[in-house]
Amino acid sequence: MKSYLLGRLLRTVPVVFGVVTIVFLLIHLLPGDPVEIMLGESAIPAQKEELRRELGLDRPVLSQYAAFLAGIPRGDLGVSFRSREPVLREIARRVPATVLLAATSIAVAVFVALPLGVLAAMRRGKPADYLSGFAAMLSLSVPNFLLGPLLVLLFSVQWGLLPVSGYGAGRHLVLPAVTLGTGMAALLTRMVRATLLEELRKEYVTAATARGLPYRSAVALHALRNALVPVVTALGLSFGAVLGGSVITETIFSWPGIGRLLIQAIDARDYPLVQGCVLVIALSTVAMNLATDLLCARLDPRIRYE
Amino acid sequence: MLLLRHGRILLLLLLVSACAQKLPVDEGRLVIALPGAPVNVDPRVATDAYGEQILQMTHASLVRRNAAGEPVPDLAERWESPDPLTCVFHLRPGLRFHDGRPLTSDDVRYTFSWILDPANRSPHRALYRHIEAIGTPDPRTVVIRLSEPFAPFLSTMVRGIVPAGSPARGYAPPVGAGPYKVDDLSPDGEAVLSAFDAYYGGPPAIRAVTVKFVPDSNVRFLELKMGSVNFVLNGVDPDLLPAASLPGRLAVEEGAGGNVTYLGFNLRDRALSDARVRRAIALAIDREAIVRSIWKGRADLVESILPPGSWAHDASLPPIRFDPARSRRLLDEAGFPDPDGDGPLPRLRLTYKTSQNEVRRRVATVVQEQLRQLGISVEIQSLEWGTFFSDVKKGNFQIYSLTWVGIADPDIFHHAFHSRSAPPDGANRGGYSDAEVDRLTEAARREPSRSIRREKYRRVQRILARDLPVFPLWAGRNLLVRDRRLSGFVLTPDESYAPVRAMRIVPDPSTPASGGRR
Repeated sequence: MKSYLLGRLLRTVPVVFGVVTIVFLLIHLLPGDPVEIMLGESAIPAQKEELRRELGLDRPVLSQYAAFLAGIPRGDLGVSFRSREPVLREIARRVPATVLLAATSIAVAVFVALPLGVLAAMRRGKPADYLSGFAAMLSLSVPNFLLGPLLVLLFSVQWGLLPVSGYGAGRHLVLPAVTLGTGMAALLTRMVRATLLEELRKEYVTAATARGLPYRSAVALHALRNALVPVVTALGLSFGAVLGGSVITETIFSWPGIGRLLIQAIDARDYPLVQGCVLVIALSTVAMNLATDLLCARLDPRIRYE
Repeated sequence: MLLLRHGRILLLLLLVSACAQKLPVDEGRLVIALPGAPVNVDPRVATDAYGEQILQMTHASLVRRNAAGEPVPDLAERWESPDPLTCVFHLRPGLRFHDGRPLTSDDVRYTFSWILDPANRSPHRALYRHIEAIGTPDPRTVVIRLSEPFAPFLSTMVRGIVPAGSPARGYAPPVGAGPYKVDDLSPDGEAVLSAFDAYYGGPPAIRAVTVKFVPDSNVRFLELKMGSVNFVLNGVDPDLLPAASLPGRLAVEEGAGGNVTYLGFNLRDRALSDARVRRAIALAIDREAIVRSIWKGRADLVESILPPGSWAHDASLPPIRFDPARSRRLLDEAGFPDPDGDGPLPRLRLTYKTSQNEVRRRVATVVQEQLRQLGISVEIQSLEWGTFFSDVKKGNFQIYSLTWVGIADPDIFHHAFHSRSAPPDGANRGGYSDAEVDRLTEAARREPSRSIRREKYRRVQRILARDLPVFPLWAGRNLLVRDRRLSGFVLTPDESYAPVRAMRIVPDPSTPASGGRR
């Protein structure tokens, strides 16, 4: 197990390295000069040169790249051009908001998808099944940038139940989490239904009920657990999509997370901040995938990691 | 069934509790929504619009600008210029910062010296490069000496004063001497301000102000509808305004704007170097139709990039009216005849660059169609902002469309049209060159007399109207959507938030005293 873990960790290095390199090249290829964005058009050329030198932008791109890579192991992601604060501190300030939003939206997705998926599988071909299928299709087809304002219109403006936007752990969290979690819930519902249906056809369920175990218990205790392995894998993989989706959701709901920070950093051509944000997102996606694999081993003892 | 009944009761309870909630305006709180969060709330380094807008409420300057862009007293009660190189400011008595410290000439000197110190890398340093020395003979007198005469100098003094010794890092909360003090400022969240009782003009009537940063324009509008935001200046899509001005809690106010949208021509281009071609394009664009259809009438046609409210604006410039017949004649004269009459071949092919802003793209499409009728084939390139602006500055365009924002002084003509103002030294992006414009703009920036300056800038505007290196299109009107009970705000062309200090909350007989949400 330990050697597996070590191997997996080592394999993340080229993945993260690749992501960081591509982002570094792309952001430097983009037209637009961070110095001009910072100083404005009317700055004296000497002043621009001075700032360019100070930010290290006068050095060859390869040397900038090497300096960036060398800083990563030390946790030094550079200093934001925009705010002149260490990138890591800027990101650390936004992490709690994004983690809170991502975790809550995943929780929303799981709490909706599990019962709905199980219901659809157990009532296959009945109205409940069709209804859940229709709801899932509808949720998947509505993009976040439309669903968010629609929910605001209904729950905030029409009924006045929840705040329109802003940051907070309570009422403020509901609409962004539901917006972000809805698409994932739809996907998971269909997945739970499909995998559970497959399990229900297997002989061990028949055997369990033949031994006198009530059908519901057979489903809950045996079939559901086995059906969850692919679901958990999908959940882990969709974490990246949640972070990606949070860029839009955070903008709609004025949520001060990493997604919004990344957009602002790209607009300002704040190279270190863009690189830092992407690095953190890549690292957390990789970590989430690893955690998912480990969780699958707990759920299904037949999965062995050697 | 039981669940359904309980669900209904629960919903009813929630609705009742929601209706009982008080709106911020009921509690005397002004809630402003800005489309973005400020990068900095420090007058020494802030360059972004949102930072500037908060500073207009929290910081006071030596002078401020009135609606015509003229400097009027702020912290300085008066000033005089004994010679063209010296300006003496006399501070009001008893000035204080938010933290109670007295504001003296030392703080003024510190603020400008800090900006001028190369080690501090202030983006505003270039603006004050004419300052040679700052003297403080007594706590209420500041003497600024310039290295050369610079007429726009007074308008550069609109810069918030910070207490001496304020560090760049750790200047939080930002302490100033404006009508509101900053109680709390969370990046990307909101700024909480409260009335400053020792403000020299007396404490503002509205005691509490929250500035929320709401990037999505639909959400800003929904916040307004709900009442959780009660003041949005230029942040509501014109398409949504009919819904806002329905009888109800919200009121819409309109005022002349100071931001001029224009078409820029590249005069290095073979076809566009001919003034007749530029004029033909201008005559072929029906600006009135565009303002009517896209801006819903909320823009004023202009003939100069200096907005109509400015003291140096020349109102006597002849308007360019839509005249396709004359436009065709000019193109024929310039050597671009229609090769095949009504056939598909164009007289001329041009590329039109614009940003990805939805309104600008719609404008570009209409211009494309209007020029097509004339036989000019236009390809629209809508680019991401950084890419677009980089192309414009490099001169990598034939036609582009942009808006001049925040023109504070007619010295803009030197910045945008002097032959030595090509980027990076200025904003003459199209390569315009005229000896008379050079001479007039150089002389005007050295001229202390306002009336002589005005005359020189009028001549510049007439030359530009003749040569059309850019075609000024329109100035969008400023639009304020606010709660009916908020009164006293005066719209200025430069979208200033300074008049917030004069606002108050008045009872509105058409609205129930409490509760009513919609």
